[in-house]
Amino acid sequence: MFVINERLWQILISSLPKLLIPFLTISLKITVLTFIFGTLLAMLIAIVQIAEVPILKQLARAYIWIFRSTPLLLQLWIIFFGLPTLGFKFSGFTAAVIAYSMNEAAYNAEIIRSSILAVPEGQIEAGYMVGMNYFQIMTRVVLPQAARIAFPPMFNSLIALVKDTSLASSVTVIEMMAVARQIAARYYEPFALYCETGLIYLVVCTLLTKLQSYLEGRLVWKSTDNHPSITSGNKAQEAA
Amino acid sequence: MLGVRNLHKSFGSNEVLKGVDFTINDGEVVAVIGPSGSGKTTFLRCLSFLEKANSGEYIFDDLDKDITKITRKEIKALRMKMGFVFQNFNLFRNMTAIKNVTEGLTVVRKIPEDQARVKAETLLDKVGMLDHANYYPDELSGGQQQRAAIARALANDPEVVMFDEPTSALDPELIGEVLSVMTKLAEEGTTMIVVTHEMNFAADVADRIVFMENGRVVEEGPSEEVLKNPKEEATKRFLRRILEHDE
Ligand SMILES: Nc1ncnc2c1ncn2[C@@H]1O[C@H](COP(=O)(O)OP(=O)(O)O)[C@@H](O)[C@H]1O
Ligand SMILES: [Mg+2]
Repeated sequence: MFVINERLWQILISSLPKLLIPFLTISLKITVLTFIFGTLLAMLIAIVQIAEVPILKQLARAYIWIFRSTPLLLQLWIIFFGLPTLGFKFSGFTAAVIAYSMNEAAYNAEIIRSSILAVPEGQIEAGYMVGMNYFQIMTRVVLPQAARIAFPPMFNSLIALVKDTSLASSVTVIEMMAVARQIAARYYEPFALYCETGLIYLVVCTLLTKLQSYLEGRLVWKSTDNHPSITSGNKAQEAA
Repeated sequence: MLGVRNLHKSFGSNEVLKGVDFTINDGEVVAVIGPSGSGKTTFLRCLSFLEKANSGEYIFDDLDKDITKITRKEIKALRMKMGFVFQNFNLFRNMTAIKNVTEGLTVVRKIPEDQARVKAETLLDKVGMLDHANYYPDELSGGQQQRAAIARALANDPEVVMFDEPTSALDPELIGEVLSVMTKLAEEGTTMIVVTHEMNFAADVADRIVFMENGRVVEEGPSEEVLKNPKEEATKRFLRRILEHDE
């Protein structure tokens, strides 16, 4: 039977910083970089489709099709192991950020596109009737509303990303999973070490989910000055 | 003065407006009535260029032009001289009531924020919404939203304001507050085109009634005359049905 004895406690406690440091410096760094690049690229991919830019629109559709229909791990391996054959060589870390960003962009582009399209036509027409032009309507009316619609699914994809960074260990990146494997092998305690690693993911993702509900509550258009009694908790429920 | 001659509009093979002639003079209030699907909304949307007409002549003050030849720049200038009140209000959901009113003033006309606010407060006061100036649309009742939308439509001091069934999305108990704001505007001499099923409003407030059916203006005349002594069989039929319905 599996028991946590003195020795195991020592291993688990001494492993914690060894796991947390690569998590904070590598895994979360990949997550943040990916989210920034992935979202910027996603905006471009969404906008060329909504603005119906001739050739770019078809390219965007093809891009989304390819990146959503193949495994992320495969995309990562093509960039890290495959591209050097064509003369493009990246470090594992760079390859991971590129692969994740391109993959994230495909998913987020669809979220952004559908969020923009979800803003009712009447909002746009009202903009025209007060004299605004297309650009003014987009920046002042449509995008702020679309951002609110896109926020929950975008945040979900951010949380998924935190977990997906584990794949980077397969391209020589010493992130948390790679470290866990090393420690587990050294002490012959894979079960305990992987559970500990899992717990770290669990805690971080739970905190992120809490942050998400809090932010969603803040995103509701409410004149809080007029409703001192409404707490953000209530608002989050109303938003749900 | 705003008008059209021989206005045609089709959606695909469905001809919705079949040669509409219409004029409204400054200070006039015209009620447009007619069965559902007769083209009333499409008519207002063509007048405001939210819909592209297929042919017709467009008249606005000194402008008299083929409606299909009106440029984007002209459309923008014309829209600044008109207000549009939608059936579903369409207040900008990400802005407070007062921001809805100031938005066009500050963004389009580049009026300084503080001046725009003064103007918006006057307009919100006029529609009885000053105490709700800082509320967002989602926090307002339908009647309140529509009154704020009316204030927004008045922000540019329009020469004509169009209303597309402004009360038909409202709960019955909220209709009165919107109609009374519109009555006040009419009394102040606002030029208004009102598509409505509110026959009492048409009778009491409108100077003239235009009855549309099946994409055509079938009958028009002073409100009293059209309501009391309709000449056309179609008008009689429509009025009989709607009056029965009201009881
Ligand atoms: N965007 C559109 N596309 C296709 N058909 C439309 C559109 N808008 C209106 N129609 C059609 O035009 C006709 C008149 O509609 P509408 O102007 O809304 O009438 P009303 O406002 O008098 O009820 C209807 O048959 C409607 O189905
Ligand atoms: Mg209609």
